[in-house]
Amino acid sequence: MDPLTLGALLAVITVLVLFSGVSVAVGLIIVSAGFLVVFDGLRSLQLLPEILFGKLDNFALLSIPMFIIMGASIASTRAGADLYEALDRWLTRVPGGLVISNLGACALFAAMSGSSPATCAAIGKMGIPEMRKRGYPDTVATGSIAAGGTLGILIPPSVTMIVYGIATETSIGRLFLAGVVPGLLLVALFMAWSLYDTWRKGSADAIAGRSYSWRERFEIMPRVLPFLLIIMGVLYAMYGGLATPSETAAVGALLCMVIAIIIYRLWSPRLLWDVLRDSTRESVMILFIIGAAGVFSYMLSSLFITQSIAEWIGTLDVNPWVLMFFINIFLLVAGFFLPPVAVILMAAPILLPIVTNAGFDPYWFAVILTINMEIGLITPPVGLNLYVINGIAPEISLRTILVGSMPFVACMVVAILLLCFFPGLATWLPDMIMGPAV
Amino acid sequence: MAAGIHSTTSGIRPGWPGQIDRLSTLFGWISAAMIVISVMITCQMIFVRAVLGQSTVWQTELVTYLMVAATLLGLPYVQKLRGHVNVDLIPLMLRRGPRKALAIVTLSASMLIIAVMVFYGFEFWHKAWARNWKSETIWAVRLWIPYAAVPAGLGMLFLQLAADLWATINGTDKPFNIAEEKD
Repeated sequence: MDPLTLGALLAVITVLVLFSGVSVAVGLIIVSAGFLVVFDGLRSLQLLPEILFGKLDNFALLSIPMFIIMGASIASTRAGADLYEALDRWLTRVPGGLVISNLGACALFAAMSGSSPATCAAIGKMGIPEMRKRGYPDTVATGSIAAGGTLGILIPPSVTMIVYGIATETSIGRLFLAGVVPGLLLVALFMAWSLYDTWRKGSADAIAGRSYSWRERFEIMPRVLPFLLIIMGVLYAMYGGLATPSETAAVGALLCMVIAIIIYRLWSPRLLWDVLRDSTRESVMILFIIGAAGVFSYMLSSLFITQSIAEWIGTLDVNPWVLMFFINIFLLVAGFFLPPVAVILMAAPILLPIVTNAGFDPYWFAVILTINMEIGLITPPVGLNLYVINGIAPEISLRTILVGSMPFVACMVVAILLLCFFPGLATWLPDMIMGPAV
Repeated sequence: MAAGIHSTTSGIRPGWPGQIDRLSTLFGWISAAMIVISVMITCQMIFVRAVLGQSTVWQTELVTYLMVAATLLGLPYVQKLRGHVNVDLIPLMLRRGPRKALAIVTLSASMLIIAVMVFYGFEFWHKAWARNWKSETIWAVRLWIPYAAVPAGLGMLFLQLAADLWATINGTDKPFNIAEEKD
């Protein structure tokens, strides 16, 4: 069979296997083993454990459990509520201060935790009831948090970006920087839409908030500052050339745990174990997918599928932007069904050579890919954030949450378009801080 | 429940699957401990290098192996927690009977592939042990030590899958953890 037909067959079978409810990692190994046995003989199975081990045997991957511990210890505290309250107290005079502080809190919390569902849960628990109480429409209250939560995978430190960096052998530090400006752009678009929608629905009164005294504003700061300092410290260590992402993540994880224990009095062994259990569960799940995807990409290249697809696309001689359009559609559809980490690991090794050959910047592409994955987090059927919000605000129907999220999906599409017209939005900051990419 | 993500179940089941659950939990503790130890060692390494100005020899390699071991040994525990992410689009569309049949098929297929991995994983470990392979670093670790995590973690994952299969067949577990009254 020629490699292209084989590729098409593989795509269909992979989709069927993954939709069958088998775990993503095991499913990838099943598909890889099946194809290797049929087209390469039984002998090829012998190498699988070694490939699994080899893929995991990489110091850069250490940053994943470390950033997850950092996020889990922050998420286990009242830090989310404190952050939210602090922003509300400071931004109260700004028109629409509440929704702006919610989105700002989402962005900051996303930066600290690196996790979308954790951001939704932490900020939404406080933010959604408060916005409803002050008369914001349900769609804005839930949609803004669902969308704000997705920033977790774009704003650094982001586990999704680390996985992209490892899958494509690009610089994680540079990827983190590439996500900053587009992240802020998304926050601005989300804020603009929320304010417009609130005003349009005649809830303009809600936009005027209550006022706080300066004393109230300052008394909350000590509870928020430590985490903000850690984030700044981590970023400084990474970009100041002091340490690698894995190393800074380890220091960040230790500091966040210490702060959670000291400031938030997280000293019962039960609560500490909860944090550790959740971090272990998430890290093991992601790292197993990384190992399994390694086996999958080994199968792809030993059956010459990766190379043939890249060559075939090369011969098509299409306009690069048409190509990019179809790649976006593909990513969007994949993101509707699969978790971001799985999409990146399966697609990046195939797409990256195609994208770079067409003259696109790999760091810019990482941002485009991540925004596509963010859309998948707030669209059915797998839209994790929608279900998280449904869980914390059960009185609002899933349909309302979904309707509320749709305009934010449109904001993300606008962001993708803006990035296509102005690639510098993603590449300017890394180029300025780290020098042009080679 | 969200399509795509299983909920966490931490209860211990009756009978032999319960024994497996307990053993998997022990593996989970070991895995969590390894992650915490990696955090400490990495911080120690930065201290030695940045503050004491000395070079480090074994730390990077040790924490990498610890992380690999934490992943492999953590597999059965995460399976017990239903923490391995999946996409249950087809199961959600099925009725109770076919859904249970599909759960039995997917669990059996998972067991089969993991059994193959355990078999070759053991061979991989045994080769390193019999030939006394060492890593190509100054530290020169005997590789059978880190490689042991492959058969150990996958072997325990196999047992956990067997317990889950049994619990699905006899009705202790709901197929794919999907609530029956849903849809």
